[in-house]
Amino acid sequence: MAAGSLAFPAAAQQGNPPDRLPTFTGPGANPYWNSVGPVATYPQKFPLVLLTDRPVQLETPRYFFQSPFTPNGAFYVRWHLANLPNTVDLGEWRLEISGNVEKPAKFTFDALMNSMPATTVAAVNQCSGNSRSRFQPRVAGGQWGNGAMGNALWKGVRLADLLQSAGVKPGSVQVQFQGLDRGDGPEGLGSNAFLKSLELSDPVLKECILAYEMNGEPLPMLNGFPLRLVVPGYFATYWVKALTNIRVLEKPDENFWMKAGYRVPDTPRGTTTPAEIKAGAVKTVPISRMPVRSFIITPDVDSKIPMGMMVAVRGIAFSGYGRVTRVEVSDDDAKSWAPAKLGEDFGAYSFRTWEFSWKPRRPGLHLLAVRATDEKGNVQPDEPVWNPGGYLWNQIERQRIMVGTEHAGGAK
Amino acid sequence: MKYRGRFVVSIAFLAAAFVLTLAGATLLYAQSEIGNYVQQNLGAVVQPSQNLPAPGAKYSVGNYPLYWPELEPGEGVELVTSYCNACHSPRYILMQPPLSRDQWAAEVTKMVKTFGIQIPEEDQPRIVNYLATHYSPETRKK
Repeated sequence: MAAGSLAFPAAAQQGNPPDRLPTFTGPGANPYWNSVGPVATYPQKFPLVLLTDRPVQLETPRYFFQSPFTPNGAFYVRWHLANLPNTVDLGEWRLEISGNVEKPAKFTFDALMNSMPATTVAAVNQCSGNSRSRFQPRVAGGQWGNGAMGNALWKGVRLADLLQSAGVKPGSVQVQFQGLDRGDGPEGLGSNAFLKSLELSDPVLKECILAYEMNGEPLPMLNGFPLRLVVPGYFATYWVKALTNIRVLEKPDENFWMKAGYRVPDTPRGTTTPAEIKAGAVKTVPISRMPVRSFIITPDVDSKIPMGMMVAVRGIAFSGYGRVTRVEVSDDDAKSWAPAKLGEDFGAYSFRTWEFSWKPRRPGLHLLAVRATDEKGNVQPDEPVWNPGGYLWNQIERQRIMVGTEHAGGAK
Repeated sequence: MKYRGRFVVSIAFLAAAFVLTLAGATLLYAQSEIGNYVQQNLGAVVQPSQNLPAPGAKYSVGNYPLYWPELEPGEGVELVTSYCNACHSPRYILMQPPLSRDQWAAEVTKMVKTFGIQIPEEDQPRIVNYLATHYSPETRKK
């Protein structure tokens, strides 16, 4: 299996650190943890990995995942349309509930923050295309490494409270969400407006909040200030940023971002093959919950462990289907597994940190692997997925680690 | 004299012993090293400026930076930069993995048919040709 191979590009094997990562990877899989883009600085952000500049797409570097909550300044950024907010005037901004409701209403930011009950939830926000650069064969789209994800403590009002106060009329089927961002394409097309909808019958609606706080701070502009839809357990495509409109629909949403974009094969794990796609026989459904994943954050590949040392291997795990209940580590390329110690439980949809004390049994190159299991019994698989959108990647992650000796020539 | 001679001998002996030890160490063990540096170019990543926001109800972060990409020169590059830039930065091209001619053709078709960019019929194959010529698995250089 390719992912289990110890092979790596020549540049990464040189004794001296290369000047920089390659500017692109492919046609093979991206072997690096993050995307290979340049690092760039943006307002309210630490230097992040730049994927695109207009619209803005930024990836969070690996080392920011050492904590269960991702700092706002490090939180990844993904916009679909070029005209995203630079300035929000809270004097003008309103959240509007309209459509098939008894009492259409507009809310000021102050009303949401100060006149309605607040709820807090820890939830992972992960781009549907996180780790897309792992796909074989490669697919077009944002070539994310593993850093298109983050965990935050979101505080806001419950969507269910707002819908109840507006009075959803009978015959309603979906709720549609839209934010301030606009594109330069023609009206009515996906290049003009980004619209996402959830089924009214979806139980996730009861867990959704409209967040005005992120980790105890206002949301960064690039993460959706002033208000963002939080859909715990679901991929980030539904977490509409700079939210302004909630529309209750009588008919299913047929806009591009529901009918054509962000759809996955209606197969186990959403996997298919290029041949089946070419044959045109693949039924698709809108993407929804995030499959269980886990990551080794430290040590990284440039750490060298002295033989005999007990080293702490640390990382994170999460699942969109509920709590992570078990994380296991392997040091023999996913053949045998030993349990890791889980960190604090911040809720079903949060990152869960884990730690594993590892004492290498021999010097030389090792391949650590990590897999997580969630409360629904989903175990992270070791098979890759493939679909044309580059979605739902959750193959077991591996980390190469070099273990040194005390004497020259000890390691082969 | 006698005393001084003994001193010289002992220095020579110590020096020889030191050289031998060093040689032995080099043979037996990888040496520790200190003081190695390599010249690099600074300034590719800049620190962001720090601005105190204005008071009031406007929450602003100013402009976002644009980084015009260095696309491979070649026939059709100006078509690519002008049409693709209508909706998104041409940096999108560099962010993609190397794509086959068919994949690039599918991307251009998607931009026209699904996203509504108006590109004259005769220019569409020119754009595909440029992308396939410079950004395919066989041809992409940077």
